[in-house]
Amino acid sequence: MSDADEAAFIGVGELPSGRHPNRPFMGSLVDVAVAAVRDAGRSMSDIDTILLIPCLHSPADQADLVFSRVVEELGLNGRAKASYMIHSGGSTSDNTMRTAAGLIASGHARNILVLQAEKWGSAPVDEMIDMLTANGIPREWEKPSGLSFNAVGALITRRYMAASGSTAAEMASVCVALRAWARLNPNAMYKDKPLTVDQVLASKMVCDPLHALECPMLADGAVGFVLTSAALARRSHDRWVRIAGSGGRVSHYSIGQERDLAVLGWPEAAAEAYEQAGWGADDADLAEVYDSYPAVLSIALEGLGLAKPGEAARTFAAGGYSPGGRLPVNTNGGLLSAGHTGVGGGTALLAEAVRQLLGRAGPDRQIPGASRAVCGGSGGTYMDSQVLLLEGVTR
Amino acid sequence: MSDPGMEPLTRPYYDALGRGELLIQHCGSCGRDTMYPRHRCPFCYEAELGWVRASGAGVLHSFAVTRFGAPTGFESQTPYALGVVKLAEGVQVLGRLWPDGDGGWGAYRCDAPVRFRPASEDEIARRPVPWFAVVHQ
Repeated sequence: MSDADEAAFIGVGELPSGRHPNRPFMGSLVDVAVAAVRDAGRSMSDIDTILLIPCLHSPADQADLVFSRVVEELGLNGRAKASYMIHSGGSTSDNTMRTAAGLIASGHARNILVLQAEKWGSAPVDEMIDMLTANGIPREWEKPSGLSFNAVGALITRRYMAASGSTAAEMASVCVALRAWARLNPNAMYKDKPLTVDQVLASKMVCDPLHALECPMLADGAVGFVLTSAALARRSHDRWVRIAGSGGRVSHYSIGQERDLAVLGWPEAAAEAYEQAGWGADDADLAEVYDSYPAVLSIALEGLGLAKPGEAARTFAAGGYSPGGRLPVNTNGGLLSAGHTGVGGGTALLAEAVRQLLGRAGPDRQIPGASRAVCGGSGGTYMDSQVLLLEGVTR
Repeated sequence: MSDPGMEPLTRPYYDALGRGELLIQHCGSCGRDTMYPRHRCPFCYEAELGWVRASGAGVLHSFAVTRFGAPTGFESQTPYALGVVKLAEGVQVLGRLWPDGDGGWGAYRCDAPVRFRPASEDEIARRPVPWFAVVHQ
C-alpha cells in the first residue's frame, strides 16, 4: 500500500449527548450524516459506502437492515455501492475504521460515511439493564448468578484497586477530571454540572466498590465520520487525519474467564499498535480511551503506557490528565461525563480525537498543536482492547 | 436457561450443582480441563469431552456486591455478592459468594482462599451457579 492509498479522516459530525426523547433515531442518523459530509466539504453524492455502527436501544432498530434504510433516507439509492453494519460492542468504531481503511486502500471504496446513533438516554432504564444482562454475558454459565454490567465494572474496579493500592478517593478523581473536560464540551451531557470527589464518594454504593456517580449515565447521541484516501484528501484539503497504527487483543468473552481483570488485553494491543506507528506513548499529545468506569480507563492508560503501572488513578487525583495537566485524556468528557451512548461511547471519543487533530475542537478545549492521539476502545465485558493511533497530516 | 441442543453441556453441570458437586469439563483426548463447558476441546479440538469433580479449592480473583440495579428476577436477592474464582485445577468460574459471619462480605479479599460450598437443590434449580465461601485462616 502506498501512502496515497491510506485512509484519511476529513470530516466529523456530532449531535449533543443526553436525553433527547423527541429526537428520532433515523432523523439523528440523517442529521449527523449531513453534518459530517458538510464538515468534510464533500457532497452527499460523493459517498459510495456507508458503514453503520449498531444501536443498542432497540433490537428491532438494529435488526431492521437499517443501514440500507439510511441509504434511502439520504437519497443515495441507485448510487451507493454498499451499506452494512459492523459490531464489536464498545470497540466497534475502532474495528469500523480498520474496515474502512482496508476498503479504501484496496480500492473498494473512495468516500466512506460512518454513522452511529443511539437512544439509550430516552429508553426505560430497567429495560436497558435487562438488555445488557441478556447480551454479552454467557446465558448458561453466568447469567443465573445475577451478573449486571455494573457488577462487571465492580469486579474490574475491585481488582484494580487491590493491584494498584488506589484509594476510593483516587478512583473518584477520575470522574472529577472527566467532568472538568465535559464542562468545556457543548455536546456533553453534563456540561453544566460541576462534580467533586466528595460528591462521588457521598453517592450511594450501587455495587461495591462502585458508587452511583462512578457508573456511566445512559445517553442519546449520534456521530458521523467521512473517510477518503490520502490521495483524494490531498486534492481538496490542507489537513486530514491518518491511522498511523492499530493493535488489538480479544482477551475473553465471559468476565469469569478473564485471567487478569486489572490488565485485560491492553499491553499486547498497545505494543502491536506502537510498533506499526513507529512512535510510542511518550509521543502522544492526547488520549481518547474507553472509560465506562474509572478503573476501565485507568487499566487502559497503564496498558497503553500512558501511566506507570498502578499509577493511573493517582495521576488523575494529582490532576495529570485534567485540563492543564501533563496529558489531556478524554477531552470530550468521556462516557462518564459526555454520556454513555452505547456502542457510540467509543465512537464519540474517536470523533473527539479526529476533531482535535483537525484543529476543530473549539476554543475552550482544543489542544494547541495536537498531532498524535492514542485512541482505545473496548467491547462487552471489556472482552477486547482495541487501539488506534491517529496522526494529523498537513499537506 | 438452555438453548435447544445445549442440554448435553448444561444438564450434567446443573444436575451436579443440585447434588452439591462442582464439575469441570475434561478432555479425554488431550487430558486437559476446561471451563466453561465447550462443544469441542479448545486445545485439541476433539469432541471426547467428559467431566471430573473439582476439588472445590480456589482463590478469589475479584468480587462485587450488588446493592441496587439488580437485573429482573434478582431484585429480592440484594445485597448479593459475585466473585471470579480461580480453581486449583487451573480453570476459573464466576460464582456467588456466601455472606460471612457478619452477614456481609467484609472477610473477603482479592487473592483470599475460597472453597466451593453448595447451595440448596431448590436454589440451584432456580439459579444454577456454584457458590463459594471464604476460608478463614
